[in-house]
Amino acid sequence: MAYTGVTPSARSRGMVREVQHLLFTVAPGATWILIFLVLPGAYLMGVAFMTNGPYGQPQMPLSLESFRRLAGFGFLGWSPGNLYTLLRSLWQTLVSTGLVVIVAYPVAYYITTCKEKWRPILLLLVVVPSWTNQVIRTFGWMNLLAPGTPLSNLAETFGLIAPNMGLYPSNFAVTLGLVYNFLPFMVLPLYSAFEKLDNAQVEAAQDLFASPVRAFWHAVFPQTLPGLLAGIVLVSIPAFGMYVIPELLGGGKGMMLGNLVANQFGGGSNWPLGAAGAILMLIATFIGLFVMRRLGKRLGGGEEVVI
Amino acid sequence: MRKRTLRRGLVGFWWLTLTFLYLPLAVVVLFSFNAANSAATFTGISLRWYRQLLGNEQIVSAFVNSMILAITSSAIALVIGSLIGYGMYRHRHRKLGWLIVLIYLPIVLPDIVFGISEMVFFVRIYDLTGLFRPGLVTMIIAHVTFQIPFVGLIVYSRFVGLDPTLFEAAKDLYAAPVKRVIHFMLPTIKPALISAFFLSFTLSVDDFVISFFTAGPESATLPIYIWGAIKKGVSPEINAIAALMIGAVAIAAFLSLLFSQRRRT
Repeated sequence: MAYTGVTPSARSRGMVREVQHLLFTVAPGATWILIFLVLPGAYLMGVAFMTNGPYGQPQMPLSLESFRRLAGFGFLGWSPGNLYTLLRSLWQTLVSTGLVVIVAYPVAYYITTCKEKWRPILLLLVVVPSWTNQVIRTFGWMNLLAPGTPLSNLAETFGLIAPNMGLYPSNFAVTLGLVYNFLPFMVLPLYSAFEKLDNAQVEAAQDLFASPVRAFWHAVFPQTLPGLLAGIVLVSIPAFGMYVIPELLGGGKGMMLGNLVANQFGGGSNWPLGAAGAILMLIATFIGLFVMRRLGKRLGGGEEVVI
Repeated sequence: MRKRTLRRGLVGFWWLTLTFLYLPLAVVVLFSFNAANSAATFTGISLRWYRQLLGNEQIVSAFVNSMILAITSSAIALVIGSLIGYGMYRHRHRKLGWLIVLIYLPIVLPDIVFGISEMVFFVRIYDLTGLFRPGLVTMIIAHVTFQIPFVGLIVYSRFVGLDPTLFEAAKDLYAAPVKRVIHFMLPTIKPALISAFFLSFTLSVDDFVISFFTAGPESATLPIYIWGAIKKGVSPEINAIAALMIGAVAIAAFLSLLFSQRRRT
């Protein structure tokens, strides 16, 4: 017997104790998440397949009506409103994630070129604004972009906006708000990628008279890819489901999927329609996670991608 | 030569980014001292908006609600989350894939889906049983749900960083599991527990969407109050309360810097 000196009964008693230990430590948290998140989530998905009652409460019979409504089919035939909202959400996510990448690369690189004792302080400077509440940060941008403010006046003199309109509410303001909100989420993973950068490769590229662009593309960029992927996950998934920023900075024409969903549980009052929108958001989230995971694995940086 | 221009460009870009990051916050703080009732022109320094704050009972009660919510939820999440973190470490050789999925779920779920799921669930349970009336209790439950994973992962990674032979030594030293927990485990993971508590606290204070959907009529927190005030029409009073919250964050940032510097030396 492999287990010398331990009787089978003692061994099974040990097993029982192990399982008890596992249950004691893990069960409270797991049960909490099951009851207060998985169950509510499952119920919400169920609601999507119910019919909308007169007071916005979900009712039986089961139907696919809410998905038809989500696709734009209403009492008055098809209207493209919801489709525009969906496309706008995708577009805003794409543009803001791209801009965040463009801004975050030089910032993350700059921090790694500084003296080691300064780096934590510089990183903290980038992160601290995101510790303030999202509503307050967005309110700050409302103050900055309102009609009559210096920024709005400047845009007006260049003829970028109509007189007395202000820069918000607009799609531009939403993009700006998203970039502002998510910049630290990209700087942090990129910074840790830059910190581990193998400089020998960069120097080799320079010795071979590569232009800075080529040196960056062939020697630096591949090494930062895991950090970049992690950053893209951290930015694009919450950006797609954003509610606060488009609600405050976007106005009616800047609505995103999050607002469409939330409205159904407030004034709009059509729970099944809102739930159907939530399912769409979940699908997008899981597709995003899946694609990033696959890409991360193929690039050999699977361990680096946090999620 | 080209290197120096590149360097200059980088430094310039860094300062530009910092301006971008701090400008909205600076504007809020500046206008909180504005003598005029205007968001566009600054006429002079005054403390009138701050004085108005103190007289506003709604704001005071929103502040109290925020604190109760953050402290209670962080405390509950600390207990449940540390247990799960330790369990994940101790049983890391088993197949716990389902647990990992469960733990990451609150983190990856979009805020709005999270908040609405909770709201729909609590409203339904309240209709059926009269339990879980939307208010502070439902908010605390929702906050604990998104705090547990963060506490669990912090505690887990602290345990992973420890030398496994320490556990053997502790087993030899203290026979009773309770003593092992009190004299060995809690002291060794104390830094992780402290940072997990503060992270939970920050997450709670920082959250708006999930609070907003689980709140009841009398349990508005500061962000919910500010949201309502913005929706009704901007008043300079919001600048003052927002400036105070920015001040609190600045102090927290300063303290965390001191803390981390001291730990390294």
